[in-house]
Amino acid sequence: MAMMENELPVRNRAKSYEKESKLAFIIKDLNRNKFIYIMLLPVLAYYGIFHYGPMYGLQIAFKDFSPALGIWGSEWVGFQHFTEFFNGFYFWRLIKNTLLINIYELLFAFPAAIVLALLLNEIRSNMFKRVVQTISYLPHFISIVVVVGMMVDFLARDGLINQLLVMFGFESIAFLRQPEWFRFLFISSGIWQGIGWGSIIYLAAMATIDPTLYEAAKMDGAGRWKQTLHITLPGIMPTIVILLIMNMGSMLSVGSEKVLLMYNASTYSTADVISTYVYRKGILEASYSYTAAVGLFNSVISFILIVSANSISKRVSENKLW
Amino acid sequence: MFKAKPAKVGTAALSVTLALSVVSGCVPGSNKASQNSAPKASEAASKLTSLSYWSAFNPSAAATMKSYSEMEAYKEMERITGTKVEFQHPPQGATAEKEQFNLMLTSGSLPDVIEYNWNTYPGGPEKAIKDNRIIKLNDYIDKYAPNYKKAIASNPEWKKQVTTDDGSIIGFHFIRGDRSLQVFKGPIIRQDWLDKLGLKQPTTIDEWYTVLKAFKEKDPNGNGKADEIPLLLTLSELKNSHAFIGAYGVPNNFYREGNTVKYGPIEPNYKEFLTTMSKWYKEGLIDKDFAATDAKLLDAKVTGNQLGALIGNAGGGLGKYMTLMSPKDKNFKLAGVPYPVLKAGDKPLYGHLDAPVPGKSAAITTSNKNIVETVKWLDMGYSEQGHMLFNFGKEGVSYKLENGYPKYTDIITKNPEGMPMSQAMAKHNRATWDGIMVQDKRYSEQYQSQIPEQLESIKVWSLPTNEKEMPPVTPNKDESTRYAAVMTDINTYRDEMYNKFVMGAEPLENFDKYVKTLKSMGIDDAIKIQQAALERYNKR
Repeated sequence: MAMMENELPVRNRAKSYEKESKLAFIIKDLNRNKFIYIMLLPVLAYYGIFHYGPMYGLQIAFKDFSPALGIWGSEWVGFQHFTEFFNGFYFWRLIKNTLLINIYELLFAFPAAIVLALLLNEIRSNMFKRVVQTISYLPHFISIVVVVGMMVDFLARDGLINQLLVMFGFESIAFLRQPEWFRFLFISSGIWQGIGWGSIIYLAAMATIDPTLYEAAKMDGAGRWKQTLHITLPGIMPTIVILLIMNMGSMLSVGSEKVLLMYNASTYSTADVISTYVYRKGILEASYSYTAAVGLFNSVISFILIVSANSISKRVSENKLW
Repeated sequence: MFKAKPAKVGTAALSVTLALSVVSGCVPGSNKASQNSAPKASEAASKLTSLSYWSAFNPSAAATMKSYSEMEAYKEMERITGTKVEFQHPPQGATAEKEQFNLMLTSGSLPDVIEYNWNTYPGGPEKAIKDNRIIKLNDYIDKYAPNYKKAIASNPEWKKQVTTDDGSIIGFHFIRGDRSLQVFKGPIIRQDWLDKLGLKQPTTIDEWYTVLKAFKEKDPNGNGKADEIPLLLTLSELKNSHAFIGAYGVPNNFYREGNTVKYGPIEPNYKEFLTTMSKWYKEGLIDKDFAATDAKLLDAKVTGNQLGALIGNAGGGLGKYMTLMSPKDKNFKLAGVPYPVLKAGDKPLYGHLDAPVPGKSAAITTSNKNIVETVKWLDMGYSEQGHMLFNFGKEGVSYKLENGYPKYTDIITKNPEGMPMSQAMAKHNRATWDGIMVQDKRYSEQYQSQIPEQLESIKVWSLPTNEKEMPPVTPNKDESTRYAAVMTDINTYRDEMYNKFVMGAEPLENFDKYVKTLKSMGIDDAIKIQQAALERYNKR
């Protein structure tokens, strides 16, 4: 913050040099803030190398890629791979599974972090609050492989959960082998893992709410509940909306790692999502062009979703990502 | 805007971690050749001093070593030829292996030799040559591989199966040297349970029903609980062995009637088979977890005294369990039983029969700089010396010649460190799984005779004629894209529907609808492609 304030006079001065050409201004600015720009370089490099560079390869979605001919030399086939995917037998199932997992995540996992943050905010004892917070965000640091490994052990036929079920006289359930359990397990383990970590950003947002608002509300006779409803929630609303818009963007790209680790052939009917299908088709069967087309389709839809979510939000709530 | 920033950085950081974890996940696969196989053979001064060699890593070998270069046979090869082989092994498991193979081939940085089932290369083996990945070997073999040439010329069936439709030979193949080596899988039953209940070995589907029912109801394991699982028939064994489904005259895949290709899962007989299975499932005769049973779970069920019958290998199944269980339970006894038939007295039509040339071969890549020397090196495996080496190991160490018969020594048969025979063998040779050689039946005579039931079971499993079995045909370049596109979804659908029909989630009345769906998915095209491939195969 202090840095920004120092910069203000610089900007103002820049305005008075309006006659100076833009280029000269940029050079001057680069010179003045070179260390800041240097710090930016790794980030730019990351995006360049890992996100924009590979876009060159996207063209194979419209080609019949053959490793012998290379990306550039392969033959153009137009939209063939796209139509193949749209007409594919499992197209609708993939879309449905992908969307449903995301919608459930939006319905349950997304609010869960907010609720936890609100609850934590109400805790008076700082000690207790910190303990709860630490415990709740510890799972975030466990790798997905380990989390799924734990689930497999707990949920196995002779695992803890089933032993408890049998002890209380229920039938044991093959949790990881039944398609109807997949979404529940996926989402709930996700909540367990992410809730504490996700709440941090909301807690930070709550910390910026002006305390005088609460005092004023108290004067007006508002209880804790009303304060939460009328001050805390609106206070963190911009954060919620921004995160929601960003979530919309990843609507069609479920983290394939976790699904890949969790699913098996008998749960495909609910677990198979676009990204796992792409993995099976692309890596295991080497249909690179086809999967590039599927991936591109995925990105285009995500792009549309994020842009429309942003513009809706802009109109409705005046919160926006850009 | 401002608020969004931390989250964005978080995402970026996450992506980096993920990218890194992907990268590092690959590293163990590119196993560096182990450093401890002391290279003393430099005096042999052959032109070919080193060779990078990609090959899957067999679990039996993996149990005792880090790479094939620690195997006695390869150590001896190195001593003889002076060629140091740097083995690269992908992580174990079919999926991981395929994944690394595909990525390796696309990336373009290839080792000198790749050992793989090239029939499964997308587009067929011929495409791998056209993609400029591996080299057509016909001329090289003519000139520099006399032993291999002689071996494949000695058997017209072998010759046919090592050659592609276009007449190319793409690699040095693993060849099963005798028909008895092609059969190693079949129905296994708890003989002690049968004896206890006074039943005889079942041969027909009806007799199986009676036996399984008795297993379910009469508490053969004697623990007072009805926890017996009469039969475990996994989807993969259904495909590999044709057990039970074979009684109905169809496999779970393509087959031929005369020279006409047909697809089992759309035939009316398949419905009959499904009807039986779903009835058995409903009555609790088939394991509830059949759709997702892995090796670990299977082991647990057998050794937990729960499972009555399964489909398994002679050595790795029946033999393994007998060895594991005999100290714990004196009565425990398994027996290989004949493939079931519909009517008593029928000859079983379908059983397990591996092709004489199963498809795995060592191909030479376009990155190889010493093709001729590599060809000579690989040809060693088919020479008298190499043959003995890869099948039996080093003479005087792992085998001794007795009247011309290579007899395994106690290191193998009664391993002093207490290793199971399969692992002890793997330390010395590749006979128990595959290799660049002609597999010798004298290996299996000794391996299987360790436990008499193993030998006996192979005898009864060899009864089926398997004349309807498809030979290893490959679609050509033009067909393969269409074939792959159609079959990926069809295989998924067929397997899912099989599970649903058997478990009763889908009523059998919907069988016609299921056939119709398969047709709309393009099964007829796939049959046509298989038909064309078969005709080309016959003309080879």
